[in-house]
Amino acid sequence: MVSILDRKLRRDLANRRGQFIAVVVTIVLGIALFGGSYDAFLNLQASYDHMFDLLNTADMTITGGDIDAIVADVQQIDGIDAVSTRTVADVPVRIDGHHKMLGRLIGMPVGEQPPVDQVLVLDGSYLGSGTEVLVEQHMAGHFKLEPGDTIEVLGPTGWFRVPVAGVAASAEYLWPAPSRQQIIPSFDDFGVLFAPEDALGGVPATVAQRQVLVHYRPDADRAALDEEVKAAAVQHGALDTTTLADLPSNAALSEDLAGFQEMSVMFPLLFLAAAGMATYVLLTRLVLSQRGQIGLLMASGFSKRDVFGHYLRFGLLAGGLGAIIGAPLGLLLGGEISRLYTGAIDIPITIIHVRASTLAIGVVFGLVAGAVSALAPAMRAAKISPATAMRGFVPPGKGRMSLAERILPPLRRLPARWKMVIRGVGRNRNRTISTIVGVVLAVTLVLTFWAMLDSIQVLLDRQFHQVNRQDAQLYLTVPVDSSILDELQGLDGVALAEPVADLPATVRSNADQYHTELVAFDQTTKMHQFIIDGDVKPLPDDGVYLGDSLRDLLGVSVGDEVTISTDAGSFTLPVAGFVHEPLGTFAYVNRSRLAAELGVGDVANTVYVQFTPGVDREAMRDRFGELPYVGAFIDARALEAMADQYMGLFYVFIGIMLALGGVMAFALIYNTISANIAERSSEIAMMRAGGVARWTISRLITGENVLLTLIGVVPGLLFGYVFALEGLATYSSDLFKWDLYIRPTTYLFTVLAVLVAAFFSQRPVLKAVQQIDIATVVRERSL
Amino acid sequence: MSVVQLRDVSKTYGEGPTAVHALKGIDLEVEQGEFIVVLGPSGSGKTTMLNLVGAIEEPTSGSLVVDGIDLTTMSEDERTEFRRAHVGFVFQFFNLIPTLTALENVQLMAELVGKNHDDSLQALAVVGLADRADHFPGMLSGGEQQRVAIARAMVKEPPILLVDEPTGSLDLDTGRQVLAKLREVSDVHHRTVLLVTHNTAIGGMGDRVIRLHSGSIASIQRNERPLTPEEVEW
Repeated sequence: MVSILDRKLRRDLANRRGQFIAVVVTIVLGIALFGGSYDAFLNLQASYDHMFDLLNTADMTITGGDIDAIVADVQQIDGIDAVSTRTVADVPVRIDGHHKMLGRLIGMPVGEQPPVDQVLVLDGSYLGSGTEVLVEQHMAGHFKLEPGDTIEVLGPTGWFRVPVAGVAASAEYLWPAPSRQQIIPSFDDFGVLFAPEDALGGVPATVAQRQVLVHYRPDADRAALDEEVKAAAVQHGALDTTTLADLPSNAALSEDLAGFQEMSVMFPLLFLAAAGMATYVLLTRLVLSQRGQIGLLMASGFSKRDVFGHYLRFGLLAGGLGAIIGAPLGLLLGGEISRLYTGAIDIPITIIHVRASTLAIGVVFGLVAGAVSALAPAMRAAKISPATAMRGFVPPGKGRMSLAERILPPLRRLPARWKMVIRGVGRNRNRTISTIVGVVLAVTLVLTFWAMLDSIQVLLDRQFHQVNRQDAQLYLTVPVDSSILDELQGLDGVALAEPVADLPATVRSNADQYHTELVAFDQTTKMHQFIIDGDVKPLPDDGVYLGDSLRDLLGVSVGDEVTISTDAGSFTLPVAGFVHEPLGTFAYVNRSRLAAELGVGDVANTVYVQFTPGVDREAMRDRFGELPYVGAFIDARALEAMADQYMGLFYVFIGIMLALGGVMAFALIYNTISANIAERSSEIAMMRAGGVARWTISRLITGENVLLTLIGVVPGLLFGYVFALEGLATYSSDLFKWDLYIRPTTYLFTVLAVLVAAFFSQRPVLKAVQQIDIATVVRERSL
Repeated sequence: MSVVQLRDVSKTYGEGPTAVHALKGIDLEVEQGEFIVVLGPSGSGKTTMLNLVGAIEEPTSGSLVVDGIDLTTMSEDERTEFRRAHVGFVFQFFNLIPTLTALENVQLMAELVGKNHDDSLQALAVVGLADRADHFPGMLSGGEQQRVAIARAMVKEPPILLVDEPTGSLDLDTGRQVLAKLREVSDVHHRTVLLVTHNTAIGGMGDRVIRLHSGSIASIQRNERPLTPEEVEW
């Protein structure tokens, strides 16, 4: 009995293979993308964790304060595995004798790795003498540095040559971000070097920072230890305490991890919902058209359960097939995404696991989606009365005037064929809802990602053109004075040079503290715009501007006082406002005010310059490189270029989302139109028999389809907006502040993309309409 | 004057041993305004004949001229144009569009040939449904729906009305009402009506009755006094 029903099921599927394939493809995509993004998340997390474990990465990094006292106290805390100290200094470095940049020298013991924050030597050897360095792999890759090469470092007595012992990877610098305020590095301008600790002894105290590195035992209560270690550090005057999670590199990579994790929820939700709708539409139509067969089966002794199971199996088959194809595809995708991602950012070790749990979840997702979507039609089939069904009579749907005609009476004067189009939209409410939901899902998918791309582009533009107005930053080897400023200002290609102070600092309130950079400009600076509540404001005489993340992080408001600690001293100022800047969270003061607070004549330690329009930026780099007192040159546009380079990945991503949104819209609209046309085949045949041309019918169907799509577009745009808003909000932190900005053209292109998908989805159906057998169909009753 | 001329018309579906010869060498002429009833059991070829005359299908061989137009070598688009201007169809299952009112169902066809709202209303009035113009098909009885289908076919004012089993889905009284309207179309509006049915009782209504058997004309009978619909019993 069952085998015959199974045979019927197979043939039903074969007769509707187009719609069935559309459903299966959507399920495959949902499950594959789930597996891909979820496994990528797990693989990347495992890869990072492996590096952290392998290299004994510090669970807490303490900067400044009484180092010896901190070490002594921390070592007494139960749960601590190892403690070590080191010196870190940002100093000018010269590559190939001319390219000046900022190098971060990190002190390491000679001859053996430190107990905490070790490095993985990828090429060459570990530090064997007190006169060589290890180059971090990103810097080595960018400048093609190899063991045996030499670089120059600016010491107290001038430039001196240092041989490269090897190339190393560091878990602390998996992504070489200089600080939480500069999460996007420019490899041209910043690199990390591991140098003998003793060699750093000669670095001036103004640029060198002493650090304590603390590693916890694996079984320790990390949260409790964080609090205890932090308290000990603060007690001894530490400027900053940074947990492993808050390391600039880790914080940046965690943003992407969170993205993969979010996608592993969002993708299956969107695609399986679309597949569910498509299955529901297909099965509902199938049950309706097979009413007579169902009646016959039940009249012949098949139970309601047999009939229910028969139609439920349809959904299970679609879900199962989608899962069988999608789950292993997801596995491959997860591995590939992990490899591509770690390759793109040079993570040295990529861990890719085959996880049975991901496969199992994928299969369960598929089966559940298939079963849930088939449930309602299968129940409807089982409830059919055999007597009624075998009469084959289906009461005609109750026609009524459309809502649009009721709202806009002039529409009632439209030709009958166009009224048919308008009313066709509401003809089968469930199917209309399914189509609209499909369109909503597709528009949401496309707009969400496109909006995020827009927002990132606009915010980068705001950061690098409205907020940061400088073209370059110069680190000088001599004190900044007016003669140097005059000389810089007189250089060909320089429009303006301004002295600026840029100091590591800790901002404290009564509630908390935050380590950042304190940047001091002239009050009339042309190098930076302070945007407060949407308006550009000048620097205050008496007060500090804080990045607006600090409003919550420090629990302060305008007028509250904060204490700012730098290596040069501490002082207290009221908060004069909160600046809204996309990248980083800085503190800004008036330069003369800072000098007065610190009790020194001048505090400038760097110079910002603006170029004359159209200048050759590489030529400017060379020109500054030739000046003996310029230690390092940071090209502001190089940072922007770096950001743009990574946007390239986003473009690919958006392209993929567009394609997937198109596939989703295609699958659902194709199925709903197929069902729609199958239901109306006799009406269409009647119209053809009455002399209505094929292209007129195609036009009417297209009109109805476009109308349905447009109805779905409006809530889709709304959902896309909300999803993008929420998505950006989850990424916003003190590192990034993503405000949603969507270009008007993005709305337009999203709508066009979905309309194109809808248009193409009806092509196979229109082809079937063209080939409709009028003679046969007009003699059949519409079902 | 002959409005329909079939000369040695054959229609074969398929090829080789599985070929089905639906019509075999049919010769027939139908005059303007005639009410022809085509009778025959299932598979006798009566619907095929209707479809050929209505240019829904094309003959395999022979000559077919309808309303002065040779249908034997027409393209699909030309056949569409022909159906638009020269024939009206009425089917057993009405095939009304459920989302359009009775009037709008008629207008759908009227607009094809440039007829206006009043013409559609007039066509409904002819079938006695002017007062039901704004009703949707779901609100009409089977007989009323079939009368809307007749109005829809007539509104284009085609010279020929092709009617396929018009009473197949109706009870006797309703069927008689529909037949009465079809007869009126022929008698009052001088349209040629070609009605196919397996219901032999309806044969008495025709000016002529053509009996088909296995794709050939078995007999042609002229009724000297066609029955009125009220006289028809089944």
